[in-house]
Amino acid sequence: MNDGEEPLKLIRAARLIDGLSDKPLTGGAVLLMGAKIAAVGPQAEAAAGDRIEVFEYPGATVMPGMVDCHTHHNGFGDGRLGDDLALLPDEVLTLQSARNARVSLFSGVTSIRENGPKNDTMFRLRGAIEDGREIGPRMVLCGRPVATIGGHMGYMGSEVTGPQPARAMVRQLIKEGADYIKITATGGSTKTSYPLLPSFNRDELTAIAEEAHKLGKLTAAHCTSTQGIVNCLDAGVDMIIHCTFRELDGSYVFREDVAERIADQDAYVNPTLHVFRALVWDFLRLRESRKLTPREQADFDWRRSQLDHALDDCRRLLEMGLKVITGSDSSWGSYQLGNTVYETECLVAAGMSAMDGVKSVTGEAAKSLGIDGVTGTLEAGKEADVIVVGGNPAEDVMALWDVKEVFAAGRRIDRGSPESLAATIQPRMEYG
Amino acid sequence: MGRDSGGFKLIKAARMIDGTGRPPLERGAVLVEDGAIRAVGTEEAVAPPEGAPVQEYDYGDATILPGLVDCHVHLIGIGDGRRGDDLTTLPDEVLTLQAAHNAREHLYSGVTTVRDCGAKNRTVFMLRQAVEMGVTPSPRLVLAGRPLAIIGGHLSYFGIQATGPVECTAAVRQLIKEGSDFIKITASGGSTATSFPLLPSFNLDELTAICNEAHKFGKHTAAHCTNSQAMVNALDAGVDTLIHGRQVEPDGSIVYRPEITERIVERGVFLNPTLAQGKVGMDRLAAKKESVGLSDAEETELDRLKGHYYDTTEHFARVRAEGVRLVCGSDSAWAYYPMGNFQAEVEAHVEVGMSPMEAIVSATSDSAKSCRIDDTVGTLAAGKAADVLIVDGDPSKDIKALRNVSDVFLGGGRVDRGNYV
Repeated sequence: MNDGEEPLKLIRAARLIDGLSDKPLTGGAVLLMGAKIAAVGPQAEAAAGDRIEVFEYPGATVMPGMVDCHTHHNGFGDGRLGDDLALLPDEVLTLQSARNARVSLFSGVTSIRENGPKNDTMFRLRGAIEDGREIGPRMVLCGRPVATIGGHMGYMGSEVTGPQPARAMVRQLIKEGADYIKITATGGSTKTSYPLLPSFNRDELTAIAEEAHKLGKLTAAHCTSTQGIVNCLDAGVDMIIHCTFRELDGSYVFREDVAERIADQDAYVNPTLHVFRALVWDFLRLRESRKLTPREQADFDWRRSQLDHALDDCRRLLEMGLKVITGSDSSWGSYQLGNTVYETECLVAAGMSAMDGVKSVTGEAAKSLGIDGVTGTLEAGKEADVIVVGGNPAEDVMALWDVKEVFAAGRRIDRGSPESLAATIQPRMEYG
Repeated sequence: MGRDSGGFKLIKAARMIDGTGRPPLERGAVLVEDGAIRAVGTEEAVAPPEGAPVQEYDYGDATILPGLVDCHVHLIGIGDGRRGDDLTTLPDEVLTLQAAHNAREHLYSGVTTVRDCGAKNRTVFMLRQAVEMGVTPSPRLVLAGRPLAIIGGHLSYFGIQATGPVECTAAVRQLIKEGSDFIKITASGGSTATSFPLLPSFNLDELTAICNEAHKFGKHTAAHCTNSQAMVNALDAGVDTLIHGRQVEPDGSIVYRPEITERIVERGVFLNPTLAQGKVGMDRLAAKKESVGLSDAEETELDRLKGHYYDTTEHFARVRAEGVRLVCGSDSAWAYYPMGNFQAEVEAHVEVGMSPMEAIVSATSDSAKSCRIDDTVGTLAAGKAADVLIVDGDPSKDIKALRNVSDVFLGGGRVDRGNYV
């Protein structure tokens, strides 16, 4: 099976999760040949020869590298607004992105979908990675998010008006290297935007989605109100991000009919629960140090209600059988890259089984990005994106925090000192 | 990332070299308080105040030194042999990523201060901003930003080409506005394809304007000079550091001119001979010859480099004997010299006749003086920043011991050299 000079690596652990099956395989083994998976399970175990390097992890689980469907590599996750982030020079944003790329890779995330950086910063980083001067996860990039004038993340550099300019922008981004098209279909945290109102008109959205699909690219849209979701479904968008069921007056009204349309159209939902929880944690932390001002208390109450609604809505979507995946939205708000598992935890808290949680950040996540032919599961022929975690995440999703080893495209990643890794983990707060 | 957590730290080892040139002190110790050196001396003499909590580091048979100061780096360089003309075609974001990579390599190898002698556009200023934000680790940065060059002159592709005293003055003001700590001038051509290494570049009125304007704002100057006429011009204009500094005539021959050496000594100008640049190039080809053999062109190049290195070593041994202060600056990551190997330059200084201790002075306190930051770093003395290097063995006996880095402190913070984040 190894006719070339490709090095073979055999990874052995107590069990194996392949990212497809509902049950782990006991006595798991994966054979890596160069950058690819050569065999999984008993076939891998049967491989023999002098040129095999064996990696043993007793008691641990070998599984696919994690796939985070929603990242902001430019971000700091220190609470600063996107409006302020975008003021930084591109070179500084690129350096931060490189740092975030290492942090996410070291945390066991071997693929990411970046959801909207400034200018060409992520294309530059990817170029440096491809030239071998930087390391990072496999990257699915949008380049810049497509926004209306003053719309959410318009400051990242791609504001358009009207169907023709929207099509032109899609073509421009794809020319620059975009793998999918990110749209902000409602306002958001951007100061000059309106989170309860749709941003693009339907003809613009349709033009974007059509042009993207024509050129073989998927679309994903930020939607923090129900009308935004409906418009995206009309336009044929492939992934609904945030998926907040809020009326124009700000009231939360779960719309089962809209949720059914999402299911009927086979669209994915990325609920981004922890980015809300992280803001709640900020207030809990502040409250430990001093009494909140009345204004802070009001903000805190609002953030809690936002999180509770998001968890409730996610629970309903899961009960209806919608396709929900892990996309952390870090490093946005107060949520930092390297902590993707917080989002998976939240999905489990909203009703996923631990194993479904694992799939939501591996096989299902890869499907939602259209990269399941390449990564996301342990199958012969796929890229050797493999991690080893302590314990059994199929029983307790918290095991995903205990990453013992990371292989990306067959290469064992030297993750550096334990202290430097520990410093990237954000402390947990209790919120009941 | 080497941030100091505050409080007292006591660093002890079998010996301490303070960087002034004084002989090593047996059982030396450095007391650090809140990022600065509070006291230096023998283990018995140095103690924190009674009852104060102190973190102790005892390195056994090792040597405590000041963190190394490399007075000549090119942070955006890759060190894989590509020419500056080609390097400069990379996007600024990619060059900044490379600068961050190099800064980390150098810091982890024991260099706690670098002077960057020329980068493209704003790249190194952007690195500094990111370092200040905690995005990436780095030695202390003394930055030129873009070098001042004539049209088509050496390093002119980095973004400044000035003609005439007025443009030169404006360029100096612009750089200082952007954050330059000193002004780098290319006073002769160099490896740049459109430049002439055997000829001077700027005229004397231009060079004088640059130096006057820089000095007016309290900034020093350093000039790339690969021939004698460029050195004479730079000395006339009042340049503070001469870089490369071989005495070469327009026909390429080395002709020793004692009056140039005398002026360098008399004016107290520093000379950064960039010795290892030639040596690493030579070693690379010699290794290739051993492993796979050389083409005719490479064979010729190796002979040329050998001759060049021999001439250079002889020349600088002579210059040094006349009293010129040679300062260690690696010129990495230019040409084939990657960063993280400043030690090669320090070792080359021993080859031109310095004692290991003299080479250490040249790579610490003298180098810091040439960068005008000797009030902060370069020696182990009370009041200075706690930039401390610990190496196994005794580099005052064998300079190669500088490679055995055991620990690095930057501003009192222990650098986690296993931090790849």
